[in-house]
Amino acid sequence: MSDGELTAADVPALAAGALLYSPSLAPSSLETTVAWLTDLLERGGPLRVVPPRTLPPQAGCAAVCVIGSGSALADLPPTGDEFVTAVRELERLSGRPVEAVLPLSAATVSALVPAVVASQLGVPLLDADGMGRTFALIHHTAMHLAGLPVTPLVVAGATGESLSLRVPDAWRADALLRAGIDALGGWAALAAYPSTAGEVAAASLPGTVSRLVEVGRVLLASRDPDTTVARLAAVNGCRRVGRGRIVALEHLSRPTDATIPTHPSSVVVEQMGPDARQLRLELRSEIVAVFSDGALTAAAPDLITLLDVERGVIAPLDSLWPGDLVDVLVIPAHPVWYSAEALSMVGPASHGIPLDHPRRR
Amino acid sequence: MSRATAPLALAELVRVDPLARGEVAVLPDPAQRVLRVELAETFDRLAHTPAHSLVVLHAEAATGGWSLAAALHVAWERGAAGVVVPRPAMSEASAVLARRLGTALLVVDDDAVDVALELAARTAAPEAARALRVARCAEELAEQSSVRGVLGVLNAELSPGLVALVAGGSVLAGRAAAAAQRDGYREVRMAVNGPGGRAWAVLVASLPEAASAVAAEVEVHSAEAVLRLARLPLLAAWAQRRLDTSAQAAQERAAFQVLRAQVRLHSGADLVAPGLDDDAGQGADGEVPSWSTELGWRVEGVNRAVWLQREGWASQHEEEPAPELTQLLRSQWARLRPGWPLVPDDGGWVSWQNSPEDTAPAALRRALTGVASLLTDHGLVLGVGASHPGPAGLVRSVEEARLGARVGGGPGGITWFEDVGVRAVLAQVSVPEVADVAALALPRLASARDRLVIAETVASVLDHGGSLVAASAELGVHRNTVLARTARARELGLALDDPGQRLPLHVACHGLVRAWRATGSS
Repeated sequence: MSDGELTAADVPALAAGALLYSPSLAPSSLETTVAWLTDLLERGGPLRVVPPRTLPPQAGCAAVCVIGSGSALADLPPTGDEFVTAVRELERLSGRPVEAVLPLSAATVSALVPAVVASQLGVPLLDADGMGRTFALIHHTAMHLAGLPVTPLVVAGATGESLSLRVPDAWRADALLRAGIDALGGWAALAAYPSTAGEVAAASLPGTVSRLVEVGRVLLASRDPDTTVARLAAVNGCRRVGRGRIVALEHLSRPTDATIPTHPSSVVVEQMGPDARQLRLELRSEIVAVFSDGALTAAAPDLITLLDVERGVIAPLDSLWPGDLVDVLVIPAHPVWYSAEALSMVGPASHGIPLDHPRRR
Repeated sequence: MSRATAPLALAELVRVDPLARGEVAVLPDPAQRVLRVELAETFDRLAHTPAHSLVVLHAEAATGGWSLAAALHVAWERGAAGVVVPRPAMSEASAVLARRLGTALLVVDDDAVDVALELAARTAAPEAARALRVARCAEELAEQSSVRGVLGVLNAELSPGLVALVAGGSVLAGRAAAAAQRDGYREVRMAVNGPGGRAWAVLVASLPEAASAVAAEVEVHSAEAVLRLARLPLLAAWAQRRLDTSAQAAQERAAFQVLRAQVRLHSGADLVAPGLDDDAGQGADGEVPSWSTELGWRVEGVNRAVWLQREGWASQHEEEPAPELTQLLRSQWARLRPGWPLVPDDGGWVSWQNSPEDTAPAALRRALTGVASLLTDHGLVLGVGASHPGPAGLVRSVEEARLGARVGGGPGGITWFEDVGVRAVLAQVSVPEVADVAALALPRLASARDRLVIAETVASVLDHGGSLVAASAELGVHRNTVLARTARARELGLALDDPGQRLPLHVACHGLVRAWRATGSS
């Protein structure tokens, strides 16, 4: 990506970056979307990627993402018009035309579809997002923390149906949407946070789309784990907690609750070397905490991910086996996520770990 | 701090309920003192745990996965005595972490609050807990019916200490390392007296050094209490075993006498009489008594008997060997010659080899050299009979073996009847009476200080037809020495050269050698 343009040649890097920020995803689940976006950019030309403050402050904006299950998206591929349908419906509800879109979370498949939508609509993609990584619920955003309303929002499915929603309390949105999304086939296109470019400039996390491409390039450039970790440190502050072998996988290792999908499990890594420690990774839809010999050393909203040392690639959480040699990497989230209010939303306590975040101790 | 209020060690606490009902996953330092019990339902509470507390995890702090790992870390930071965790929150990886941190980890199945309450009661009254422990141990000891079982309970109870039952210099049961002096370990000994208050054995416990003098006193006191409790079950188990084997030996002894009587009845002949037909016994009654197989004996086929007796023993004048010696011999014999019975009989012991057909004696000659150390240890001699068929053959072989043993003089204390031949007649010479006669007939020899050497030399010279060379080779001395000794014998009144006296002198010397060897030469 150069001069604020995203070309078809940048898509593999964008996808690789998106995978780093979503360790629970298998690379194959992005294939359809990668092919779609590449095709759009090849036929329609490069996409403009601009910082929010370069647009007129009153320009209408919307956040876009895929809501629901990534594997459902792989099973039921998009027909192609769901995202445009959702944005058009949101324009109708909010009474303001959408002149730019931004990713709700610049990670996973939701890092790619906003580029698809922008390309389809012929509007620029904002170089910003609401999460700077991915969180489980749609109100876990910097915009919500800054006071922007989540709704009205629209979800549109591959079935040609759509739902619109308006809630006074943002946290109710996910609960109300869940049943509807199941009926739509397990996933849906979401358009939410109808706002202006001025509001987005003040409330969103800047530079996160271009950072994904940079991260992706680092990951694609080298298969040497030490080189990769050193370069990632320069781009996003990544640090290695330790290298070790997976010795145990524990499933349903903690009580679960209904607010966040996927069941809790644990991965135990025995660190190598003389100062070896036992690293315990607590998993939900992502790795939510790392304990080093029982001491909490990293926790959500830190992004914790595993690098397969032997292959030099990010190890997806659904293909871990005892005996795998991995680097445990911790990437700090945007500082906005370490405030008391944000930590109560996305910190360790939100995952059933009532301990102080290591950054606040 | 007195012994009554000295705090409990973890090793003591895990032996009593509620922890005794649970499982000890990791116990790196059994001597760790427990000063109080902390029921931790939140991590906040856990973070304020005083040192030497035993932490019972509950509710939020026992949700499994990360919570146990985090609790172990906090417990380690706070210097807690250990962590008690409900089983659902336990995982193998946590045990590994506990081992690495050196933190005790105990798993319970009961409700954590109940466990904490019970533990608090125990730590508040250490002496009561210790009494409970001893009571529990007494129950376990009472269930044991073997010496091995008793030592098993003791070793589990006093772990990481070791316990052995030692008699004399040898370990009868338990862990042999307990009897060895080890650095960093103290020894606690408890004498175990047999019937009549005679010392039988000693229980030796080897305990790791305690952290303090009070702790050491408590540990020694507890160990003594437990060892004292074990004495009675030990004696009972030992007596039981002894009773069983004594009864068995007595039964076999009677059975062999019945067998001999039957054979004699049917043959109607004196078995040792020369010229007896080999097949006479079997011909008269070749039947094998059915009860012999119940005793584990095999007497059909060909038998070759051996006879063991104490060196210089003469049946008509001395008492029977002690039953303990019979027990000892039976167990050692069973190890050396598996499948051979060992039956006490007439002051000695009978054993025999049974085979379907007659076998060459060369293999048995080699095999019997293996029992030489047993003979030396107990001052025994062994005679080997010839092989004969059937029960009657066995009885005959026993008589031959006994004669062989009486004649003696074989290498390694083993004498084969086949090598002795007619010299067996000498075995019939009554040793004490020969000695009495010699004292009268050969007074100067009998009172000489070198009488045994002289008698041996004269017997040997006469054995070899007067050949000094052959006698010196047998005795392993120079020919001139033999010459000097025969000269000395003549001085002492032994008329070697008188043909009329040579036979009685020859017989007398053989008898005197055996008599004086048995009693010592002076």
